[in-house]
Amino acid sequence: MMTFSLSFNGTEHRRPSRLGRVLEDRLPYLIVAPAILVLLLVGLFPLIYSLIVSFQRITMTDNDTSFAGLLNYAELFRDTRLWASLGHTAIITAIALPLELLIGFLMAQLFIDRMPGRQLFVALLVLPTVISPIVAGATWRLLFDVRFGPIGEILSFFAGEPIRILWTVNPAYVYPAIIICEVWQWSPFMFLLLLAALSNVDQSQLEAAEIDGASYLRVLRAIILPAIAPVIAVACLIRGLDLVRIFDIIWALTEGGPGSMTETISLYTYVQGFSQFETSYTAAISFLVIALLTLITTLVLKRMEIAR
Amino acid sequence: MKFRTLLGVAAILALTGVSAPAADKDAADIAVEAAKKYAGTTISIVWEAGLQSLDPLNYSGPKWEKLTGIKVKVVEVPTDQMFTKIMQDFKSGAGAYDALNVIPSWMPDLARAGALEPLDKYVDKFGYRDELQDIAAAYRDNQMQYDGKIFGFPDDGDVMLLYYRKDIFEDPKMKEGFKAKFGYELAPPKDWKQLDDIGQFITDKMAPKVYGAGFFRTAPYPQYMFQERFRMEGGKFFNADTMKSTVNSDVGLKVFKQMLAENKFMPPGVEQWNFVDNLAAFLQGTTAMTISWPPYGRWAAGYGSGEEALKWVPKSQVAGKVGYALTPLGRPELGVGFDLSVSATSKNKEAAYLFIQWLNSKKTSLERVQLPYTLRDPFRLSHYASEKYRALWPDAPAYLDTIKTSGEKGLLDLSLLQQDKYDEAMTKAISSLWAGEDPKTILDRMAQQFDAITEKVGIENQKAVYKVWAAKPGAYPQ
Repeated sequence: MMTFSLSFNGTEHRRPSRLGRVLEDRLPYLIVAPAILVLLLVGLFPLIYSLIVSFQRITMTDNDTSFAGLLNYAELFRDTRLWASLGHTAIITAIALPLELLIGFLMAQLFIDRMPGRQLFVALLVLPTVISPIVAGATWRLLFDVRFGPIGEILSFFAGEPIRILWTVNPAYVYPAIIICEVWQWSPFMFLLLLAALSNVDQSQLEAAEIDGASYLRVLRAIILPAIAPVIAVACLIRGLDLVRIFDIIWALTEGGPGSMTETISLYTYVQGFSQFETSYTAAISFLVIALLTLITTLVLKRMEIAR
Repeated sequence: MKFRTLLGVAAILALTGVSAPAADKDAADIAVEAAKKYAGTTISIVWEAGLQSLDPLNYSGPKWEKLTGIKVKVVEVPTDQMFTKIMQDFKSGAGAYDALNVIPSWMPDLARAGALEPLDKYVDKFGYRDELQDIAAAYRDNQMQYDGKIFGFPDDGDVMLLYYRKDIFEDPKMKEGFKAKFGYELAPPKDWKQLDDIGQFITDKMAPKVYGAGFFRTAPYPQYMFQERFRMEGGKFFNADTMKSTVNSDVGLKVFKQMLAENKFMPPGVEQWNFVDNLAAFLQGTTAMTISWPPYGRWAAGYGSGEEALKWVPKSQVAGKVGYALTPLGRPELGVGFDLSVSATSKNKEAAYLFIQWLNSKKTSLERVQLPYTLRDPFRLSHYASEKYRALWPDAPAYLDTIKTSGEKGLLDLSLLQQDKYDEAMTKAISSLWAGEDPKTILDRMAQQFDAITEKVGIENQKAVYKVWAAKPGAYPQ
């Protein structure tokens, strides 16, 4: 640490100079300042710029760039398709997230004990997460295909009669199709995190509970879940945010259809920005989403007490 | 006297000899000669990504460079991003693109924004006006101008054709059975009721080996079928005085119900069919009728089957068995198309213009529409009449004659300010139709969406554009 103190005759210590003290106090800030400056430039500038754009009248098909005040934000409240897309996003998140957590946890429980070939099985199970979501969506579209898809064949085999389900057209099946694909791809992610968390649960406590004759559910509630709760919270937060931004899988499977029935907020934002060229309005939608996500994330972090 | 006569004849011959090449010079030669002064420069052209781009990449680009010394940089852009890229380049003033491929229904937006260079002065300077008359009227009168100025050269004879299996339609047993049941001859359907009769009859007799018909049903294709049928049944998109949408009229409802009912005699899962699904089914012989753009006809005949670029096209099982006809009610949708334009921000406008004149000229375009891999369809009277083209496969004359007639009668795609938004509303509506939602509810919602778009664009602005569009010969059946 920089002191600027000098010693005379080995007995007298002079106090650091004023400049020295200031530098000493501010040194950590000075060290991180360039990094913060870069972060502000690359992170904050686009955000501020798009905030400005959201108050303008920019569309790709017009030369008008005048100030629009809160017009775009007022439009958000009248836009029923926007609120419907938020609803669709919420439905997918509310169903897929618990399923992924549950399946991930069950898989982790199965693989917690060491067994021959465990590493290979784990690597195979994790494969779906390394596939690009658009490829996963396209693959499942083929699997669901009414003519070539094996799913129809398998169902027909068990039913004993031809079963032809239009998974991506029939409103009754389109959400299940999306959720099956989503859960297939991302449950292994939960599995990996929870497997790591379960591996770190205090074995002595588990052994003591076993000696005491505690039931599995009791052990789960009293020892395992409290021990892995922070990991579950972080996993849910990461996957939850990902699910709110879900785009690729739905684009490949349904393109938001039939009609706008599976259009999520990301798809709607894309359509507004890049298909309908409503640049300023798209910026306003983005800020609505940022506001909603910030609110939800803060509440979740507070509730789960992991911010500390 | 004889000597003077001889001199006179010699003089005439000499003059004729000198002037003959000048008189023979067509628009392609003129463009090449004029472009030579730009040798060494590079021009960029926006082109639809994929197969279409093989034209400038493999054929016309290298040929133009050889003729003029001008390099052509091809900017491949997916169709759904072409408008955005063109507008972005224009708005930024970057001038990254010189020549453009433009979908004609975008022209009101692009021309009003100032993104396209008016071409009239170049057309006159480089003597192209006469050759433009060779472009079939459907494209020339509908897709070339906005507000009285030329902004693009129609370069692709897109039009919907009905393809049918001649072997099934001419089978004596089928003919006899059909006539006995319906009281009229089995032949390409003249209206949608006949299409239903024929489609159901063939499905009943031949499914699952062959179904009566198969159509593409996924976005964006069915909206073109809706636009055609809606107008042919007497529908109007808007009330011209108020600009209120009238798509939810009884006509709209009738068309929607008909379209939905047809799925019953088509192969299972037809609701999910895209361009390739439909193509594969027809080429493999599992559907007896379909409606699509001209490439289906060429590929069904096996034309270009040896091309590396066409390996993805299923091998035709129906070569020699396919007949061509007008779509039911006889006024097919032109469906998309492409224009060649010059970017208003280009730094090489004249060189870009000369390139598109050469591409679009009678001589060069005839070669381009015969390239098996590039999806450019015949669009000039000289293309339809070309002996070379008519000799490409045994049924090519019938194919070209049907394209010509279809083009002459073709209906223009709706083309308004911010047309993409209306297109999207139609696409979503049709997708809801396949999902089983009530047709009337869908149509009412579509009309509301149309009205909301019109209101946002500005009713008076849109009314003016609609008036221009509706006055075109291909807008509404006269």
